[in-house]
Amino acid sequence: MKFRIAIFAATVGLTAAWPLLAHHSFAAEFDGSKAMRLTGALSKIEWTNPHTYFYLDVNDASGNIVKWTCEAGSPGALSRRGFKKSDLKLGETLVVDGYLAKDGSHLIDARRVTLPDGRILSGASAGDGGPGQ
Amino acid sequence: MMAMTSRFAAAWVPLVLAMMPLGSGVVLGQGDNGLTAVDVKSTKPAPRTADGHPDLSGYWKGTTDTKPGGNIGKDLPGFKLPLTPAGEAALQHNLTATIDPESLCIIGGIPRHNASGLPFEVLQGAKKVAFLYWYSYFRLVPIDPKRTHSDDPDPSFFGEEISHWEGDTLVIDSIGFKDEKVWIDENANPHSDALHVVERWTRPDADHIHVETLIEDPKFYTKPITYSRTWVAGKADEELQEYSCSENNVDKDHLGFGPGPIRPDGTRGYLDPAPLPPPLPRPAK
Repeated sequence: MKFRIAIFAATVGLTAAWPLLAHHSFAAEFDGSKAMRLTGALSKIEWTNPHTYFYLDVNDASGNIVKWTCEAGSPGALSRRGFKKSDLKLGETLVVDGYLAKDGSHLIDARRVTLPDGRILSGASAGDGGPGQ
Repeated sequence: MMAMTSRFAAAWVPLVLAMMPLGSGVVLGQGDNGLTAVDVKSTKPAPRTADGHPDLSGYWKGTTDTKPGGNIGKDLPGFKLPLTPAGEAALQHNLTATIDPESLCIIGGIPRHNASGLPFEVLQGAKKVAFLYWYSYFRLVPIDPKRTHSDDPDPSFFGEEISHWEGDTLVIDSIGFKDEKVWIDENANPHSDALHVVERWTRPDADHIHVETLIEDPKFYTKPITYSRTWVAGKADEELQEYSCSENNVDKDHLGFGPGPIRPDGTRGYLDPAPLPPPLPRPAK
């Protein structure tokens, strides 16, 4: 566990010198002080440019289902790091760690995606200046 | 104990990452994005076209030591641009009242594309040279020493571009730029319709392309700005792919004004973001 955390931290650290590549600055859309975790069922996938989107049905504290939009990098950016569309299967439960949109809508930056089999994938937009870049 | 863990990670993690098969169940990071490259030394001379000029054609990737990326003031002390009062007002307008035009799928133009971290491709002919960009944008520049600028060119994002060879240097001279919906770089710096850009492109060897840029804009800058940069050749099988910027631009309705905070190192982003929740433990098999 500690080793996996170390790997993640070091991976993020290695990216710090990379120039900006993304479609927009992370800080133009997301609030760096509002890190959060969503756990929900995958209801829809949009493997599109300029960003990949996937949608989760998340149970809130009252037991109501709230639909969340998770924004990830472009299909090309995800594919280059081994994150394929086939990794996502409708109905499966995903854990998404990211940052809330600054406008407060149910939209987060899908910085880290944990699949049901435990694999952890980076959904970040490459070089967007977000945490770790 | 913590120090030991840190030293262990520093020593072994790069090796582990290099050996890590994709999809093996460990974290896949953002580092190997494939869009930039570590600089290389080259011993091969630049290829030349049939008419004897250096051939600028190729797929070009920014180097990892180009810092700060996306900042047209990269080569200036403190990254400080010499803004006029009108330029300062335009910058404040961009920061507080405009969304990054590129994120709205508007062409970045020149010189912004030269400061981008994204690869680009050059296809050079005898009479024209094409620059192909990541978002499926292009510019087509005539190579003709007899061609001169129009008296009143229609404003455009790349400007009215003409070029000629000076020895082994391709000189592109551009005027006639837009003055609305433009940022000169990712940091929201402005330019006006008085912008004049002179790019001097060379290929010092087979593996590099280089530009020396002179940026003049007397409305917004008190003196000319220079910006120089070198890119490295991509791999033989690398090329631009389709990228339809407006296909599903969901975030256009969520973006705020400006690029967000600018760090002291000239890049964009929060200095001290909150940490993500710790990664979940992998389920036992």
